[in-house]
Amino acid sequence: MSSATELAAAAGSTDPRVGLRAVLALRRLLDRLERVQVDNARRQGWSWQEIADALEVSKQGVHKKHAGRPAVNGTREE
Amino acid sequence: MFERFTRRARAVVVQARDEADRLHQPRVGTEHLLLALLHDGQSLAATVLRDAGVRIDDLRSRVEQATGPGSRALDDADAAALREIGIDLAAVVARVEESFGPGALDDPPPAPRRWPWGRRYDGSRFSPRAKKVLELALREAVRLRHNHIGTEHILLGLLREGNGLAAVTLTRAGLDLVDLRRRVLDAVRTAARPAA
Repeated sequence: MSSATELAAAAGSTDPRVGLRAVLALRRLLDRLERVQVDNARRQGWSWQEIADALEVSKQGVHKKHAGRPAVNGTREE
Repeated sequence: MFERFTRRARAVVVQARDEADRLHQPRVGTEHLLLALLHDGQSLAATVLRDAGVRIDDLRSRVEQATGPGSRALDDADAAALREIGIDLAAVVARVEESFGPGALDDPPPAPRRWPWGRRYDGSRFSPRAKKVLELALREAVRLRHNHIGTEHILLGLLREGNGLAAVTLTRAGLDLVDLRRRVLDAVRTAARPAA
């Protein structure tokens, strides 16, 4: 069996434990990637509205999630 | 809750924070409580762990390995789960760190908060599991009808919690948590008995 087939099999695993654990790990990774990228966008002067548009979420949502956090190596205007 | 902690047990809580600092980790987890328990070699908990064959340098390197750079944010289990769906976490981390510097994906340090009772115990830094362990320590003391909470109760709490990185690390080091628990209870009983 090729490794691609093995991966495909795992991705579609019918064992909920395997599948759900992958979802959890992916969410953790996603949260952190989002933080890194939002911080980067803010450092480059993007507005919350621009970030929200890029993420296809509401400005309120993205602001609430990210504005309270101390910006990493960056300025904090708002 | 901390009024009933012995001087040694309080020192463990403070030391746990230092252990987290040492490993550059924003959160104080069960693994830092475990390292802190071993730090004071004279404590009942440290004695039991030592007698069971635990070596602090071995345990420390295991904890560092489990929480080392690049895997601080996401642990081995996450990496394995991502591998299952064809994502190479190490490759993702490497790419992000290339652009944004080492540790870019790590959890950010928690925002500083003011605590009305001073800054000795910064509860906000303790992970939910580590807080649970301290709660369980209290419960173990109550169950044993002890008026104080000592290092032995913190260790019992760690063992009872059972799922934190402390418990995982102990298990990986070849220790049996049930056996350890029995050893602690034996030591408590021996310590309580008046010298023959």
